Amino acid sequence: MSVRIYRKPEVHSPVLIACWPGIGNIGVIAVDTLRGTVKAEEFGEIEPWEFFYPSKVVIRNGVLKDLVFPASKFYYAKTDETDLIFFIGEEQPTEAGRTYAEGEKAYRMANLVLDVAIEYGCRRVYTSGAAVAPIHHTTRPKVWVVPNSENLVSELKTYRNTVLMSDIEGRRGQGSITGLNGLLLGVAKKRGLEAVCVMGEIPIYLQGFPFPYPQASRSVLEVMTSALHIETEMEGIDEMVAKSETEINRLYEHFPSEMREQLDRLKYVAHDEPAEPGPITEEDKQKILDDIDKFFKKEPRED
Amino acid sequence: MTEKQPYKVFGQPEFESSTLVVGWSEDAAKLGSKVTDYLNRELGGQEFAEIEPDDFFPLGGVSVENDIAQFPEGKFYHCPGKDLVLFRSHPPRSDWYRFLNSVLDVAEYYCHVKEIYTVGGMVYLGTHTFPRELMALSNSPEMTAVLSQYDLAREIDYESPPGQRPTLNSFLLWAAQRRQLAAASLWVPIPFYLVGAEDPQAWGKVLEFLDERLDLGIDLDAIDEEAARQDKRITILRYNSPEIDSYINKLESGQGLTQDESESLVKAVEEFLRRQY
Repeated sequence: MSVRIYRKPEVHSPVLIACWPGIGNIGVIAVDTLRGTVKAEEFGEIEPWEFFYPSKVVIRNGVLKDLVFPASKFYYAKTDETDLIFFIGEEQPTEAGRTYAEGEKAYRMANLVLDVAIEYGCRRVYTSGAAVAPIHHTTRPKVWVVPNSENLVSELKTYRNTVLMSDIEGRRGQGSITGLNGLLLGVAKKRGLEAVCVMGEIPIYLQGFPFPYPQASRSVLEVMTSALHIETEMEGIDEMVAKSETEINRLYEHFPSEMREQLDRLKYVAHDEPAEPGPITEEDKQKILDDIDKFFKKEPRED
Repeated sequence: MTEKQPYKVFGQPEFESSTLVVGWSEDAAKLGSKVTDYLNRELGGQEFAEIEPDDFFPLGGVSVENDIAQFPEGKFYHCPGKDLVLFRSHPPRSDWYRFLNSVLDVAEYYCHVKEIYTVGGMVYLGTHTFPRELMALSNSPEMTAVLSQYDLAREIDYESPPGQRPTLNSFLLWAAQRRQLAAASLWVPIPFYLVGAEDPQAWGKVLEFLDERLDLGIDLDAIDEEAARQDKRITILRYNSPEIDSYINKLESGQGLTQDESESLVKAVEEFLRRQY
């Protein structure tokens, strides 16, 4: 098992932006959009066969021609301000029956990604995922930012439309980030790299749905491009957002009216600010969340 | 096929014999990590080995504490000019025996450790205004003889109650005993409302003992100042909140608190101290 580098990228102190699929594909859509914007070129991959089960077989005339595995590829790009290395995994290397990477395979993959980043002089890593939050789908998703070092906190506080864990009501700075988008932060910390996970908010009632949530990807993209001083066109992602909004609104109409009324109250939940008397009480909010949980039989989580 | 070694040694400190101090990063009032961090800072500790996390932690992501992503680590440090090895680690989540034996392998084979001290905090139902006490348990008569030279509470009789598992420190003492390695665990009772916060007085108590026992020559002024600052902060809280003051008064006079009172005290102290740091 190894990394294959097809050609050596000419980069100077690049920033690594790494991502694997998760809830709403929020991180992957944001990172892949950014990759397209800066026209990043592929330069290597992690050989997949020891990590993944094949995703496709090609047989021609009764002969097996190809077996396709989920890709885990590296790209690079140079921008005016920063050189970038991207890593995008099509799947997380999971153990049987699990949704997210865990254990030895996950740890090995995280280290392989960082091996490449370190080889080319990287000192900063971004990962991205979803933050399941009690918000309504018509509100602009905020971005939760989690650094792997105290030294990064003051910088992160300057990012617009972001919150730290301690800004989230009731969390007292605590939480967890499941899967490789989180694990990479930890492994980066172990190897002396600073890293930040940027997570776009997805409404709690949409977390289990098998479609993307580009609204949150857009918020993530805004934060990343601002942090990296990159100008990006938003037209492509705006089209995805418009399409997603239409689909969600259509779905929303099918919710029972009583439930819709409850969910509409999430428009007034300011979960990232200290509790203040408002149109919705803590008790109301809990009831909404309990009802949603019962309806979808899901637990809130981040990825 | 040989089993993968769960530790990595990347430095070659030379010891004829040494002492190992073990601190866990999830401990009451952060006692274990604060003690090892302080020693590291004061004595210029240098990392030279680590336990690899993948065999002992789930690694399904990261936890976030105080806004910062955490990652399990178990690292060894040596302190130049001192026969001292520090091990600071998250407590393993599985395969404890193998983990502890890996710690002892590094200690014994690479550092020629002859004496081991573990550090731990325990919950105490009294107040912060009483002086902290240092308690010690040993794993051998030889170690008991060593400890008898110091002002420590040692006459401890205890059996873990049904359903409550022994601490990792006890497990380590036992594993060391099987190798004929002398070990002691040092315990400081921490006032219950400081368990989730910090207790510089407790840190000072352990450091004072280690300084004396191992002749480290460390400066403890910073710890004393931190302890004084914290006392002052709690005094301000008591002054601002008659309710909290009454709870601490009750404890000082030997009365117990109801569960609601205890919870209010813990919440108020932790939140107040967090805002102050």
